[in-house]
Amino acid sequence: MSTAFTTESGSLRVERLRLLIQPAAVLVLVVGVLAWVFSLDLDDIEQRSINARTIALLTWEHVQITFVVTAIVVVVAVPLGVVLTRRWAKPAAPAVLAVANIGQAAPSVGLLVLFFLFTKQTGFWTAVLPTAFYALLPVLRNTMVGLGQVDRSLVEAGRGIGMSASSVLRRIELPLAVPYILAGLRTALVLAVGVATLAVLVNGGGLGVLIDTGYKLRRTPVLVVGAVLSVALALLVDWLGAMAEQLLGPRGLR
Amino acid sequence: MSFWEYVGSRWEQLLVDSYLHTSAVVQTTLVATVIGVLVGVAVYRSPIGSTVATALTSAILTIPSFALLGLLIPVLGLGVRPTVTALVLYALLPIVRNTIVGLSTVDPSVRDAARGIGMSRLGVLTRVELRLAWPAVLAGMRVSTQMLMGIAAIAAYAKGPGLGNLIFSGLQRVGGANAINAAVAGTLGVVLLALLLDAAYVLLGRLTMPRGIR
Repeated sequence: MSTAFTTESGSLRVERLRLLIQPAAVLVLVVGVLAWVFSLDLDDIEQRSINARTIALLTWEHVQITFVVTAIVVVVAVPLGVVLTRRWAKPAAPAVLAVANIGQAAPSVGLLVLFFLFTKQTGFWTAVLPTAFYALLPVLRNTMVGLGQVDRSLVEAGRGIGMSASSVLRRIELPLAVPYILAGLRTALVLAVGVATLAVLVNGGGLGVLIDTGYKLRRTPVLVVGAVLSVALALLVDWLGAMAEQLLGPRGLR
Repeated sequence: MSFWEYVGSRWEQLLVDSYLHTSAVVQTTLVATVIGVLVGVAVYRSPIGSTVATALTSAILTIPSFALLGLLIPVLGLGVRPTVTALVLYALLPIVRNTIVGLSTVDPSVRDAARGIGMSRLGVLTRVELRLAWPAVLAGMRVSTQMLMGIAAIAAYAKGPGLGNLIFSGLQRVGGANAINAAVAGTLGVVLLALLLDAAYVLLGRLTMPRGIR
C-alpha cells in the first residue's frame, strides 16, 4: 500500500513491462504525431510553430528545464537529507519535512505564478526555481527514509572496525540508501517534466509553448503536437528514471 | 490593498471558488474510486490483468496535466468536461494499485473460511475481501485527493471551476493592484483545503475502518 505520490507501480512485474513498453510507446507517439501533422495542409500561423527547428528548440528547452531542476533537487535534497538524519540535527527534521510537505501540497501552477509575480522576472530560471522547490520533497523524504532504514548493527560494525563517521556514511549508509534515493529521483524527474509544460506561463519556453499557442490561436494541430510530444517526453524521462533505478542501485541489493 | 483587505472584500467569491474546487475534487475522487475498485476487482485474481491495469494507470499518471488538458480541449471543449475527465484519469492509479494490493494481500485462509461457511463468491468479495482491503483503498483515495487538489488548479486554464481561476487571473493582471493578492489567495486556498481534506480522511478512516482490523 502506498501513501505518497509516485508513478512507480510498486510491482516488479509491472516495472519490467514498463521498461519494455514505454520506449516503444514513445516512438509510436513521436513518429505518429509528426507524420500526421506534416501531412496536413498547414496555414501560415501553424507553419510558424510547426517546423523542425521550432519543435527541436522547444523540446531541447523542455529537456533543459527538466534536467536542471532535477540536478538542483539532487544537489540540495540529498545533502539536506543526510544532515537531517545525523543525530545532532534530528530535532529539526520534522519542521523541515513539514515545510516541504506544504510546498508539495501547494499547486505547482500557484508556486510558478507567485514566484513570477514576486520577482517580476520571466524566463528560464523563473520556471526552474519554483519547480525545483516543488520537486524537492520526494528526494528529501526518500533520502531520509533510505538512511533511516539502514540496519543500526551495520553502522555499529563499521564503527567497530575503526571506520570514521564520515566513511561509515560514505561506504555503508549511503550505498544502502541508494535504491530509495533513486526512487525519489524518478518521482522528481516526473514532477519536473510535468511542471516544465507550465513554464510557458512565465515565458520559460518548453513544449508548453505549443500547447498555449495552439489553444490561444485555436490551432488544434499546434496544440496536439505540443501535448503529444510532452506526453512522449514525460514517458521517456520516467523510463530513464526507471532505468537509473535498475542500473545504478548497488549490485548486492539487486 | 493588503492581502487581508482583499480577502475581506472578496470573501464571497473566494468561498464560491473554494466550494467549487473542493466539490470537483471530491466528486471526481468518488467517481475514480468506483471505477478503480471495479477495475481492481476485475483484475486482482489474474497476474497479467493486474500487471496491465497497473502499468496503464501508472503511465497515465506520468502524463503532464497541462498536456492532458490540452489534448482534451479539442475533443471535449472547455469547462467542466475536460476538467472532470482529467481529474478522474489522474486519480485512478493510486486507487487501482491500492485496491489490487489490498485484495491480493487478504489472507487466503480467511477467504477459504468464508467459502467454507457457505458464502457465495459475491458474498466473500463484498463482505470479507473488500472490507479487509478498505484501508488500502482509502489510502489510495487520500493520495489521489491530495494530487487532484493541485491538478484542479491547472484545469482553470481550460476554463475549469475552482481556485485556479484566482491564480490565472493574477497572472493575467500582472502589475495590477490585486494580481499578487489573487494568486496568493488561490495558492493558499488550495493548500488549506488540501490540509482540511487530509484531516477529513483521517476521520473517515476512524469511522469506516472495520473494528477487527483497526
